Amino acid sequence: MEWLTPLTGLYAAAVAVPVLLLLYFLKLKRQEHIVSSTFLWKRAVQDLQVNAPFQRLRRNLLLLLQLLMLAAILAALGGPLLSMKPGEARRYVLLIDRSASMGAADVDPTRLQEAGRQAKVFVESLRGGGMLSLGQGSDQAMVVAFDDHADVMCSFTSDKRQLTLAIDAIEQSDGRSLLGEALTVAQAFAQSPGVEGNIRTAESPAKLVLFSDGRIADLDEIVISADEVEYHSIGQSPDNIAITAMQARRSYEDPQEVAIFASLVNYTAEQTSCDVQLSIDDNVKAVRSLTIAAAGDTPGSAVVSFTIRHGDAAVVEVRQLRADALAADDAAWAILPAPRRLSVLLVTQGNPALQSALAACPLDRLDPCTPAGFEAMDQGVLDVRQPYDVIVMDNYAPAKLPRGRYLLFGAVPNDIGISITGRLDNELIADWRNQHPVLKYVNLGNLFAAGAHQMTLPRDGEVLAEFASGPAIALVRRPGGTFLLTAFDCLETNWPFEPSFVLFCYNSLMFLGSQSVSHLDTHLAVGQPIQIEGLPAGTAARLSGPGIDALAIEANPSGVLRYAATGRAGVYRLTWGSDIQRLFAVNLLDDQESRIEPVREITAKGQTITAQPNVVTRANIELWPWLVAAALMLACVEWLVYNRKMRI
Amino acid sequence: MYIFFLIFDMNTSKPSISTGTLAQLLGPKFVARLDTLDVVSRKILQGRLHGERRSKRRGQSVEFADHRPYVPGDDLRFVDWNVYGRLEQLFLKLFLEDQDLTVQLVVDASGSMTTGEPAKSRFVQQLAAALGYVSLAGNNRLTLSFFADGLVTQMPHMRGRNYVGRMADLLLTTPFEGASDFEKACRQIAAGRIGTGIVIVLSDFLFKAGYEAGLRQLMGRQYDLYAIQVLSPQEVDPPLGGDLRLIDIEDADESEITVSAALMAHYKRNLSAYCNELGQFCTRRGGVHILATSSDSVETLVLNYLRRVRLLR
Repeated sequence: MEWLTPLTGLYAAAVAVPVLLLLYFLKLKRQEHIVSSTFLWKRAVQDLQVNAPFQRLRRNLLLLLQLLMLAAILAALGGPLLSMKPGEARRYVLLIDRSASMGAADVDPTRLQEAGRQAKVFVESLRGGGMLSLGQGSDQAMVVAFDDHADVMCSFTSDKRQLTLAIDAIEQSDGRSLLGEALTVAQAFAQSPGVEGNIRTAESPAKLVLFSDGRIADLDEIVISADEVEYHSIGQSPDNIAITAMQARRSYEDPQEVAIFASLVNYTAEQTSCDVQLSIDDNVKAVRSLTIAAAGDTPGSAVVSFTIRHGDAAVVEVRQLRADALAADDAAWAILPAPRRLSVLLVTQGNPALQSALAACPLDRLDPCTPAGFEAMDQGVLDVRQPYDVIVMDNYAPAKLPRGRYLLFGAVPNDIGISITGRLDNELIADWRNQHPVLKYVNLGNLFAAGAHQMTLPRDGEVLAEFASGPAIALVRRPGGTFLLTAFDCLETNWPFEPSFVLFCYNSLMFLGSQSVSHLDTHLAVGQPIQIEGLPAGTAARLSGPGIDALAIEANPSGVLRYAATGRAGVYRLTWGSDIQRLFAVNLLDDQESRIEPVREITAKGQTITAQPNVVTRANIELWPWLVAAALMLACVEWLVYNRKMRI
Repeated sequence: MYIFFLIFDMNTSKPSISTGTLAQLLGPKFVARLDTLDVVSRKILQGRLHGERRSKRRGQSVEFADHRPYVPGDDLRFVDWNVYGRLEQLFLKLFLEDQDLTVQLVVDASGSMTTGEPAKSRFVQQLAAALGYVSLAGNNRLTLSFFADGLVTQMPHMRGRNYVGRMADLLLTTPFEGASDFEKACRQIAAGRIGTGIVIVLSDFLFKAGYEAGLRQLMGRQYDLYAIQVLSPQEVDPPLGGDLRLIDIEDADESEITVSAALMAHYKRNLSAYCNELGQFCTRRGGVHILATSSDSVETLVLNYLRRVRLLR
């Protein structure tokens, strides 16, 4: 058995029981008096009761009180509601936005908590059925919380307590606001019978009740009619200054020198000044004053830069110090790796273009050798010790490669799942993934290959660039090895003459070097997973970060450590083994979320949805608790009147 | 209803006689006044000895009572020649014959008599001592009985002043305790009674079982009945208030009351009616009801009121 309102019952008992006991014990407190005989007193009491002018009235008063008490109880059983909304029982989907902009404190305490409060008021207004409803239907609701993904907090139910608990369980996120997945989930659940298994109510269409500030990124992709949605706009003020971009990079020429850039945006209608603070490992290094223009058609923006000398790995934090409504975008972090350079082995018969491109990269050492020389090397040492961070192979792939990270030009190793099915001639790059770390800032638009292999990749292979007829650059990961391949010999292309060739070489070395667990992609957006590969399967690790304290995670059978719930911005610390530690910076850096001015009219694909003009108020007030309390008070009064009678 | 007594001085010519124990109950001056009093029966009753009381029986004594026509053979010494001189007819003088008087003092010794300030028991002890002294000093036959749950103790057939001390001792030593069964006590007293006389009952008459059956037992043997009802001032005008639990001193019966003006008025009305009913009961049956409070003066009651109702002269 569960108690829906245990506290109410306890409070009522705490009042009623002591009052009853007090009346009872007061009744007992009579002074004793010895008399010669009681019979004359008893006669007097009898006469008084018979002849008292208000005797009948007092007896009637007791009857009146009992009738009132009975009337209160009967009325309570009827389940009266005040301000009842007419109509049959309905289903509702409560969509509650928990994205970064809902963390704004322009509404006390935050927009998300205000949305939760209004949602709970809405839940309280649902018409409940109950045991005595004699077959009448009850409203049902489900709760969906969304940011860049949707979570069903509670399926369809008429249990208000469950719904309230589900609303209270929604936590603030620093993610973006995407409604599409939430609507898909809601529509999928709309046909379910719900917690109570009420098939009949599943037939009625569910009404969507949206609690958000309207800062939803994917509205253009959503098809929904204004009749289906009841939109409650949360929030009041656009006052916010946000860091929308931040980068910390060591100089190519002098790795001790670090350049930090940050871009700040002012969403207020006034020119605003603020201080920007730079911290290295929580130590404040510099504070810069910045004046940012007022927002007009576009928000005002400004850039701040710092240059410091720091020779070690560090956590760089840039923070704007002006208090505003949204604190999540007031800081950004970057993980500064130690100025470590890679060791690279180049296996080639002779490729000056490649060799000079690699030599242009800031490497610790570049050791060229011939294929024969490579084969003469102790493969066991290469496999176990891995003295080189990356091995570049130019038109050469031995039968068996030791574990490591490889950049292969025009050669495909065995046993990695790639098969060569033909030859391509005169190909141009048709498309490439310019956001991939390997191809960042790399323009392949001019790359022409006179000849290339036609490769068939395994299912887990990644195509980074492709010709019209097949993959051009691919990435394949295998246990103990990462292989970045080009389908062509670079000398059969015009690529060495393009600046992008050097950039590709640099990016490839940096990317492959990061796979050696010394260089990782440590800069993530909110919601992006933390991932480390190349570990022994089952490696135990601990993760700490914003809202996370020593969470235990384990590498999967593929040797990948992965954590996807990076919902809060900040620095995450992953430790494993004896003392191996890696840091990750998760930043908001989202103009859509930092622009917190609430939207009163949201426009889905062609449909304008206007926010409700009034805040959600209690529509249906159940009166039975008040009637039961009245019955309880009448019982106490009736007891008091009864005991005031003179008794024999 | 209160009985209001006037106190007046009375010189006595007879010397006062009181024993040590009697002195604990009655003052010497009061005793001296009691020497001048005698118990009187309203009905002239027949006693066993020739005492100092008038009897309805006509005999040879010095007190002329009546005439009757002369019949040959009557004693010519009792012919009233004054009447013959006037009427020229012969009539004989008839004289009253003196008889002795039996006094039954019945004292309530139940627990209810201990209540009150001053206690009713003290009052009845003094009153019984005064009436007993008058009876003994007048050479009457005195029987002193105490009752509670039936007859508790009795000192029968006392005659003469020699018994004053013993009577006083009994009055002082008999405890006032226990519940009362008046009807049972009266039955026992009536069964052991010899002859006729005066019965004086000293009690508060607050009997739950009623007083009627008991009094009928005492009245039925042609006794002059005097019911002297003694109440305490606290019973007449209770100084009570608030929520109380009254406990009967005799049977521990409890009654919870909330004292109010209305309740007090009903109580007093009931008390007055009860006393009146007792008085009417006695009067209808030839008895006398006297109501007194324990705060009244015993001397005033004895010397004034009891003479007025012709119990004493």
